Amino acid sequence: MSNRTLPVNIQGNHACALGAVAAGCRFYAGYPITPSSEVAERMSAELPKVGGIFIQMEDEIGSMGAIIGASMGGSKVMTATSGPGFSLKQENIGYAAMTETPCVVVNVMRGGPSTGMPTRPAQGDVMQARWGTHGDHPAIVLVPSSVKEVFDETVRAFNLAETLRTPVILLIDEVVGHLVETIALPKASELDLVDRKWADGPKKGFQPFAVTDDMVPPMPRPGDGYRAHFTGLTHDESGFPTQKPEKVAQAVGRILDKLERHRDLIESYEALQTDDAELLVVAYGITGRSARKAVAMARDKGLKAGLLRPITLWPFPEAALKEATKNARHVLVPEMNAGQLCYEVERICGTERIARLNRFDGEAISPAHILEKIEELA
Amino acid sequence: MSGFEIRFSGAGGQGLQLCAKLLSAALAREGKTVAISQGYEPTSRGGLSRADMVVSDEGAAEYPLVTALDYLVVLDRAAVGVSEGLVREGGLILIDARRVDKMPRGKYEIRQMPFSETAMRLGNERVANVIALSALVGIGNICARETLEQTIRTGTPPKFLDLNIEAMQQGYALADEQVAAA
Repeated sequence: MSNRTLPVNIQGNHACALGAVAAGCRFYAGYPITPSSEVAERMSAELPKVGGIFIQMEDEIGSMGAIIGASMGGSKVMTATSGPGFSLKQENIGYAAMTETPCVVVNVMRGGPSTGMPTRPAQGDVMQARWGTHGDHPAIVLVPSSVKEVFDETVRAFNLAETLRTPVILLIDEVVGHLVETIALPKASELDLVDRKWADGPKKGFQPFAVTDDMVPPMPRPGDGYRAHFTGLTHDESGFPTQKPEKVAQAVGRILDKLERHRDLIESYEALQTDDAELLVVAYGITGRSARKAVAMARDKGLKAGLLRPITLWPFPEAALKEATKNARHVLVPEMNAGQLCYEVERICGTERIARLNRFDGEAISPAHILEKIEELA
Repeated sequence: MSGFEIRFSGAGGQGLQLCAKLLSAALAREGKTVAISQGYEPTSRGGLSRADMVVSDEGAAEYPLVTALDYLVVLDRAAVGVSEGLVREGGLILIDARRVDKMPRGKYEIRQMPFSETAMRLGNERVANVIALSALVGIGNICARETLEQTIRTGTPPKFLDLNIEAMQQGYALADEQVAAA
């Protein structure tokens, strides 16, 4: 207890804002949208206290552009939105990926498609978070399932964005975003924070997109005297556009490879009673907590059920899933959508063992509903 | 893990979210872990509103949404149907005697109580929420009465403090009447 503050009741969206500020975020640009607005509201209250900047922009496109610019200027940055706004941000998310600009993008998911149901929960943006922007691009997507995990994963999102110079998406569902839970926030001194690698070598001949051992080139800080050029066009080490096939393959290959090489840093999951599991449930976000209770209820009934709850949704923790399904005859994927993550699970486990449980009517999937399906399969 | 589930329900504007906020702050003071979720219709006044609490003695609730209510408070007829089938057998239901004319049917302990009527007698129907909350705490021993009082004192703007404390005392008095009658 001594290292922690006293437990308080905090809303998921507020925990996101507090986690961001604790992680060093000093610039937020956004356009309020239900059910994410409390993130912006809290950032507008917290950032001035630490000398940060909060801007309410004209729309989501402008917000995304603003945080990219501020990040290039040297700040740790974040924006938050929901489905319709997340769609608008996609073009600039690709620009951030291509220019290797660290940023954190929060999407508190609501019912869709289109403006859908602003106050109702859904998990319909799983594939958009991975493939929303065009072209072959790296994507890190984190999906917390409790208020405490929202705080922790927000901090981790900043660390990953800074370490790997890439956008990180925090995918929260409406239930978790609006959920209030009693949590003890860690003290600032308890947090391991990462700052991006800044260029500090010779200025002459500086290559802003050089191929380094870790595949993450150091970033030039404005004012330090480095010449650098940022463009969404495919560029070589110099930062200027190229269409030479070998340079293009190297450039795109590197931004993909930098994630592959750091999977151990990125991947996170909870594995529960998977060793002898004959039926494995794969669930995330609020559905992951529902599944946790369902698995406990199934065990009480003597059924060998287990849970794999990905906290990193993309890149998907593939090795963990393979390990957890070693003895599984059935793999159940409950999701608050018409079936999205199940495709990735099928890719890894094969289609024969997969069962789906989908709900997209604006209601969460209850533990009883998952248990019913487990009993049906067992 | 031992724990219990509570729902405050009624119409938008009746202060149901505030009930959950005050009670969860009181429970946090007593070392409990709380999860609160809410639901409301687009109409800010008159539409259905509910605030749900899952309380556990240690650690975060496994599943933070309600599945079997131990306690249900209904302050408006708009909320009668929505909790059907969600209350545990033997669960305690407190109902506003004036604003709700349809009773839930089932094996519950149902008590019709004059929350809004008492609030009007105090000069402001809007404190029916604090009366109901205090009655619930009094009957169900959900937290110490003193802890709730401390929370109300900390959480109420000075302008409304006296009224809220009076409402709390009326709620406790109603609870004592119920307990004595039982």
